[in-house]
Amino acid sequence: MNQKLVYIASAGIVSPLGSGLAQTEAALRANSSAIGPLEIFPLLQGPPLPVGQVRELDSGPMPPRAHRLARQAAQMALADCPSPPDAIILGCTTGGILTTEQLLREGERNRDAYRWHGLFSLAEDIAALCGCTGPALTVSTACSSGAVAIALALNLLRGGRMRSILAGGVDSLSRLTYFGFHSLQLVDRNGCRPLDAARQGLAVAEGAGMLLLTTERPPRPLAALLGAGLSCDAHHPTAPHPEGQGARAAMMAALEDASLAPEAIDYINLHGTGTPDNDLAEARAIVSLFSPPPPLSSIKGATGHSLAAAGAIEAVISCLAVSRSLVPGTVGCRQPDPAFGFTPQRTCAEQPVATVLSNSFGFGGNNGCLVIGGPESKPPRRPVEQKEFLAIHGSACLSGAGSLAATLAQLHLGLPVAGQMAQDTLANQLPAKLIRRIKRLARLTLLLAGEAQADTVEKEPPAAIFMGTGWGALSETWDFLQRLTDSAEQFPSPIDFVGSVHNSPAGQAAMLFNAASANVTASGGDYSFEQALLAAQTLLPESGQSALLIGADEGHPEFSPLLDPSITAENLADGGGALYVDRQGKQARCLTRLSFYGRGGGDDLPERLIAALGGAAAIRSRTAAVLAGIPTAGRAEGDRQLARFFDLIGTPLPVCRYRDFTGEFASASAVAAVMAAAFIEAGSVPGGLVGSGDITLRPGDRLLVLGTGQCLTAMEFFRP
Amino acid sequence: MAPFAHLRVVHVNHNTMNELVEELKVKLIHLLNLTDLTPEQFDPQAQLVGGELGIDSIDVLEMVVMVERDYGVVINSQEVGEKVFASLASLAAHIQANRQGAAG
Repeated sequence: MNQKLVYIASAGIVSPLGSGLAQTEAALRANSSAIGPLEIFPLLQGPPLPVGQVRELDSGPMPPRAHRLARQAAQMALADCPSPPDAIILGCTTGGILTTEQLLREGERNRDAYRWHGLFSLAEDIAALCGCTGPALTVSTACSSGAVAIALALNLLRGGRMRSILAGGVDSLSRLTYFGFHSLQLVDRNGCRPLDAARQGLAVAEGAGMLLLTTERPPRPLAALLGAGLSCDAHHPTAPHPEGQGARAAMMAALEDASLAPEAIDYINLHGTGTPDNDLAEARAIVSLFSPPPPLSSIKGATGHSLAAAGAIEAVISCLAVSRSLVPGTVGCRQPDPAFGFTPQRTCAEQPVATVLSNSFGFGGNNGCLVIGGPESKPPRRPVEQKEFLAIHGSACLSGAGSLAATLAQLHLGLPVAGQMAQDTLANQLPAKLIRRIKRLARLTLLLAGEAQADTVEKEPPAAIFMGTGWGALSETWDFLQRLTDSAEQFPSPIDFVGSVHNSPAGQAAMLFNAASANVTASGGDYSFEQALLAAQTLLPESGQSALLIGADEGHPEFSPLLDPSITAENLADGGGALYVDRQGKQARCLTRLSFYGRGGGDDLPERLIAALGGAAAIRSRTAAVLAGIPTAGRAEGDRQLARFFDLIGTPLPVCRYRDFTGEFASASAVAAVMAAAFIEAGSVPGGLVGSGDITLRPGDRLLVLGTGQCLTAMEFFRP
Repeated sequence: MAPFAHLRVVHVNHNTMNELVEELKVKLIHLLNLTDLTPEQFDPQAQLVGGELGIDSIDVLEMVVMVERDYGVVINSQEVGEKVFASLASLAAHIQANRQGAAG
């Protein structure tokens, strides 16, 4: 069966150019730039740098600015939508950090004040407001986040289990990104001049873009999403590959995904940030793929670079290009760089556009490209893939007890493994050069990645990386903000800024293995690993490609107790798990899939979970035990959900409340997943974990790893 | 050491270039986390960026911040930067030559 066309039913956009499609179109046609001196937060010294800031945003201290941007764009996209979408997928890099920065400076110690900090809180906020009870996912792959979120949505819709998804990206301006990009000398003091021979950098900006995607033809579709391609440079934490190797691979993958030849593209919406390196690498990639290139331009001289929002905002602009027959100009470019071998579209032109290729590239060499066409476009000539499960061939975990063997030995005795591996112990297991510039989370990640690969027999290194982290690199973020404040905003650390992005650890893992395929970091609070698993099982192709699936979080003595309501300074624990996965079930040690992801605390969540698992009778007959993740902060809700689950299937099953053993941290479920895979392979579950004798597993038996609380999730583990 | 003690500006008069070179060795080992290098092993004439230490453009930016903070010397062009960070010795020479002017 061939794929259905995925329609873009409607779109929402909030950018420095204005709010909504009409204002945006008018600004594009006028070739106006919205870049101007920073106003939204006060500076301790020096003249403000040029930025792209959104005007006319609903005011008020709460929720944070990023949430208000997301709400406004989501409201527009959902205005004519009769029922909530089946899922929400947002790209985001800094969440509510603008508010967090202020709170930290005020010395606020009340953790409730920080409840909007996490990236997860934006997707959850939109899901709660529109009544979405399916997954609310957050993708954090730096400046490609918005495009990667839309790519994930496209593939979820193609799977056929969902009919509509609200997908996009959002970021607000913050001190972290304003001073961070400045410390990297990537900001042009003269405003942003993409593709200009004299370009000196980007202008940090903010905004939100949202697409309502659906497989059912809406009455007045705006456009169609024809394809998406992801890749990773696996080259450097910030600099693009000089020849644009990863950019080229992502563009090629997107064209192939849309079943289109390069000649079929009428307009290329460039990433075009205005930094000397990006624009040159992107130009080289384009010239190597398109001869000659179609009309192309960058809008970032008009909007600035809104980071995670950029890919989504430019997807909306691409919709305008096909629906309003326009090619936007490259505002700010006066003297096109002769090194490129092409001349960009300088001013907005009126001409028919059938298909657009839109590029987004980010730190960590994270690339995402989208192909957008008119609603009458042909669907891609590609079969629907039956992505039933992921096959596990190797694993690793880190806990307070140490690595996999030490952790399992302790668990077999029924003893807890909660705690933190000492910094020295962690550092001693990794080459000094490899970890010179990275702190705890990226170190944990690299150790997990190396050990999972070493545990895998007769397989190539992974081609793709999928990572879940609840809170990202807390050490780098904390240190960056502290030094910024301590030096009266004079001496922010470029190294800490680079390390602070949520996808920095996954980027490090990609460089370790030269993993040049998809590289996706999900950040979903206590369900981050589940979100990464969903991304992996959705995006990993059927064709032999392998991936590393990682979940990790660091316990930070200052930040963690403030941000994660399940953590106190006394119970600090961290670590994570990693699985080497592909689609080859035959020699696999264990198979897994994410079978359910629901949210919203609705009373029917357990009923829907049971239906997704094949019904009460099937669950009773083949589930040997449940590993239940019940975060302290969601204990009442989690206990209720678990009791209701057992009520509905008619019998209690042996339960391991795994956080009693792993300790409290957002990606504890990654350790539980590694435990479940190990028990399936060994054929038994240690009795000490379930308060009984050892459970011997029969061939058809499954282990269920449930996540409870704010969301209800189920990962299944079973034998090949 | 207190978490941000290394950020405090140190006002010391350097009588000789050698003292500055020795001071920079310690600073760079700490700043760039060169844990497998001792000050004695740090060759001031060796290629600093792109050499065996694995130092690249991001480290250069971190050093730019340090030089401004601790010595009041601003390095804001890539061209100058490339010459200045060729070796630890050239960095020391640049600081020595520009320090008084910048600070005064």
